[in-house]
Amino acid sequence: MSKLELLRIENLNKRYYNKTALSDVNLSIEKGKIYGLLGPNGSGKTTLMKVIAGLHKQTSGNVLVDGEPLSHKSKALISYMPTENYIYGDYKVKHVIRFYKDMYEDFQEDTALKILNGIKVDTEFRVSKLSSGLTGKLKVALALSRNAEFYMLDEPLNGVDVLSRDVIMDLIMKSYNENKTMIISTHLVSEIEKILDSVIFLKDGVIELQGDAEELRLSKGMSVEGLYKEVFRNA
Amino acid sequence: MLNLIKYELIKKYKLFSIAIIFSLGLNVYHMTKGAGGSIFFIAFFPMIAGILYIVDVIRMYSDDLNKKSGYMLFMTPNSGYKIIVSKLITSVIEGFAILLIYFIFILINGVNIAISSGTEIVYSQIIRLVNSLLSGSFGINLGHIFVFLFAVLTFIIAFITTVYAAMTIRKSIFSEVKFGGLLSFIIFMLLNWVISSLSGNFFEAISPYYESISNTMSMGRISPADLAMVMLPMIGVSIFQIVALTGVSGYLLENKINL
Repeated sequence: MSKLELLRIENLNKRYYNKTALSDVNLSIEKGKIYGLLGPNGSGKTTLMKVIAGLHKQTSGNVLVDGEPLSHKSKALISYMPTENYIYGDYKVKHVIRFYKDMYEDFQEDTALKILNGIKVDTEFRVSKLSSGLTGKLKVALALSRNAEFYMLDEPLNGVDVLSRDVIMDLIMKSYNENKTMIISTHLVSEIEKILDSVIFLKDGVIELQGDAEELRLSKGMSVEGLYKEVFRNA
Repeated sequence: MLNLIKYELIKKYKLFSIAIIFSLGLNVYHMTKGAGGSIFFIAFFPMIAGILYIVDVIRMYSDDLNKKSGYMLFMTPNSGYKIIVSKLITSVIEGFAILLIYFIFILINGVNIAISSGTEIVYSQIIRLVNSLLSGSFGINLGHIFVFLFAVLTFIIAFITTVYAAMTIRKSIFSEVKFGGLLSFIIFMLLNWVISSLSGNFFEAISPYYESISNTMSMGRISPADLAMVMLPMIGVSIFQIVALTGVSGYLLENKINL
């Protein structure tokens, strides 16, 4: 692994029952960039992220995070936001913040409170009572309040209204700096295109196309969204 | 590890508080019916509480393995071994809490029974009774109670560990197989069969060394040390079972889990 490489995936396969979710995925993620993991629903984006996050075990293949195989130690490096509503519903928001503070050494409580205050999430609210928009914002706020090297946000714009999407995009941009690496999965390409350095197109568990976003725009003569439509037109 | 236990207990406190308030209400209702009501409550409380305890302990782990809220735990940088051990320690704490509450109910209802039957409560007599119990005047003393409680504790933890191991195997090695719930139960039965046949062989192998103790027991009196010796093989097997299955579960959680 080169010094610039944060994540390397070699010949990764993941099968469920008789369905192949990921097939022979090879990927290299460099430090300091924002990657868009793009593909329609069911293309394998969530599965790929869950394998990297250590929530799913791959059927075969290798995943190295910062040169080390996946283990509980790699979870300390990765700030992962699942697409599902994973936060324990009986907790109040303040309990969730306390949980993160106790569990993650790199969690910054002040940052979390500042973000939540900015997006009007009351810490006294019970998580189960939050609207889907507020839950989405809370999940993003929690993930971005960790001072991690590597962020993985799975469909951060899913299920939230247009105004909330802007807020979430703003949060992501404010949290990013050149020492941080991000993978953001989505099928809402137009919303996210402007912040992407690189793109990975995943179709039926196979990487169809990957590369530098700007180079792809120039070489193909179209936007990433246009390219997305072309690649997945028949998906 | 302490943090994991802390948050497990935080998750439980609400349900636990409701259960205590409900039990208190039920007890007050039965106490109004006199000594009979108190005896009924004292007899049935451990059965109901025991069943609820087992259900809650299984649910505590099952929810984390099968519901999305489990991601919250499994995303943290804690090893699989820490996670499974924290669950077991939480189970033990919960068990002790229920036991403590039961003792309090015994005391409250004991007083109620005495009052209802017109018996005067003489505290010096109660203290004397406890002293007699502890000094062995009734054939048992604190040593016996300690050995007995320790044995019960290891059996309960061994049982919980077996259930947890079955669920972990289902969510790791057999995660891609259909009919998971049924499979989990079959794994649990298989584990029990393997453990009981192994421990049966073990007991058979060591039984000749226990003849002298059997003779002592047949005379109707047994010392705490002898009781410990009698129970030692069972306790030993349970401890081995706990260590082995916790190790297996921890390894699978760390390396093979599919949530």
